[in-house]
Amino acid sequence: MSAVVLDRVTFRYPASATAALVDISLVVNSGEIVALIGATGSGASTLLLVTAGLAPGGGVVGGELTGEVRRDGRAALLLPTPWTQVSGMAFTVWDEVAFGPANLGWPRERISESVDRSLTRVDVVHLRDRDPGTLSGGELQRVILAGVLAMEPAILLLDEPTAELDPAGAALVWRLIRELAQEGMAVVVATSDIDALPESVDRVVWLERGRVRTSGTTRQVLAGEDLWEPDAPGSTSIAGVWRRAGLPGPVPLTVPDLVSRAR
Amino acid sequence: MRGLHPFTLLTVAAALPALAWIGPAPWGGAAALSAAGVLVLSLGGRQSFRVARAAVFTATPLWFFLYLLQGSGGMLATGLRLTTMIAGGVWLVAVLPPPRLIEAMIAREWPVSVAFLLAATLSAIPALRARAGHLVDAQRSRGLRTRGGPLIRLAALRALALPLVLSALHEVDERAMALETRGFDPQVRRTPLAPPPDSLAQRISRWGLVLSCVALLVWRIA
Repeated sequence: MSAVVLDRVTFRYPASATAALVDISLVVNSGEIVALIGATGSGASTLLLVTAGLAPGGGVVGGELTGEVRRDGRAALLLPTPWTQVSGMAFTVWDEVAFGPANLGWPRERISESVDRSLTRVDVVHLRDRDPGTLSGGELQRVILAGVLAMEPAILLLDEPTAELDPAGAALVWRLIRELAQEGMAVVVATSDIDALPESVDRVVWLERGRVRTSGTTRQVLAGEDLWEPDAPGSTSIAGVWRRAGLPGPVPLTVPDLVSRAR
Repeated sequence: MRGLHPFTLLTVAAALPALAWIGPAPWGGAAALSAAGVLVLSLGGRQSFRVARAAVFTATPLWFFLYLLQGSGGMLATGLRLTTMIAGGVWLVAVLPPPRLIEAMIAREWPVSVAFLLAATLSAIPALRARAGHLVDAQRSRGLRTRGGPLIRLAALRALALPLVLSALHEVDERAMALETRGFDPQVRRTPLAPPPDSLAQRISRWGLVLSCVALLVWRIA
C-alpha cells in the first residue's frame, strides 16, 4: 500500500530563482525504506520537508509547489540538528519524548506506554530523568528520535539521522529503521552514510540539483560508475576500494560481498 | 510549602507585594515583608539562607538609591515595599519548579502558547548561556581577547553578541518546523502529563487572598 505518493512535484523557495525540486515523482510503500542521496544542495532535505507537508505550508516555510503530494497517515520528521528540535517545554527527557503524544491529546496511559516503549527502542532509558539541555548531541538526537517514534507515525522521514551519532549509535538507528519498516512503517531517509545503505534500505534515490538522477534497488544505484563523477555522492567504501584497485566484474558493496567475491 | 498548587504559590507571591503597596506606609510594607520573611524561613536550612541572601543582595542597592532620592522616610516606605516584591519573587523561584507551573497551566486549559512562551523562555536561558560559552571559546581560539579591562570586555561583548543573536534568529524556522512536526498546535488541547493536585481549601485560600487585596484597596480609597 502506498504511504507516500509524490506526483511530478516541483518546489521553489521564496525569492529563489531556481527550483529546489524539479518534477519529482516518488512512491514509498508501507514497510519500505527509501534512501535519498546526493551532494549538498541536491534537494534531499527539501524533499523531506515537502513530503512532511512543511514546505510550503504550516506558516513556516513559504514557497511555491506544483504537482501533488499524498500521504496515507501521519508523517513525522527528524531534522539533522538535535538542539533545534528540543521542545522547550520539557525539563526531563521523559517529558521531552512525551511532548509529541501530549500535543496529540492522547490519554496519559497511552502516552506513558508509548514513551516508555520509544525510550527502550532507542536505548535511552537511562537518560529519562536528565534535563535535555545537559545531553550531548548524540544523546539528544536519540531522544528526539524517541520523541518522533512515540507519536507512532505511519511515515517516518529522517534527515541525516546518524550525523551526530557514534558508530554504535548509528548502527542502532539503522537496525531500528529496519525493525520499524518490518512493522509496516514507510521510511524515507536522507543520508550521507552510504556505507550503511546496502544492508539497511530497500531502494535508493540519487538526487542531483533537485532532480532524480537515478533510482532503483540499492545494488542498481550504488554499483553504478556514475556515482564517482565529480559532485556525485560516491558509493560505499568497499566499492571505492574495489574501483581504485581497478578490479573487474560486479562491484561489491559490503564486506560480506567482498569476502564472497574473494573466495 | 512545595506541595501546594502552583497557582496558590503564585497567588501568595503576588498578594504580598500587592498588600505592601496598597497598605499604609510604612506599616503595610513592614507587615507584608514580615510575612515574606516567615515564608523564606519556612524553607529551612541552607535554602532559607540562600533565598534571604539573594533578596538582601538585590534590595540593598535599591535602598541606597531610595535614600539618595527620597530621604530616610521615603526610603523606608518604598524600600519595604520593593523588598517585599523581591523576597516574594525569590521565594517563588525557590518553591515553584517551572514544570509544575506549566503542567498546572495546561491542566487548567490555559492557551498552550502561553505555557510554551513561559517554558521556552525559562529553558532558553541555560541554552543561550551554554552557546555563549561555546562562542567565547571559538572567538578566543581565533585571538579575541575577552579578559582584561572594561574596554576590552566591551569590545569582546560586541563580537559575542552578534553571533549569539544571529544564530538564535537563524534557528527560528527550524524550531518552528520541529514543533509543527511534533504536533504542536495552539488550537488543540494538550494532555497534561502530571497535573498538580489542587484542593477546595487551596482554592478558597486563593480567593481569600485576592478578596483581601481588593478589600484593602477599597478601604484605602474610601
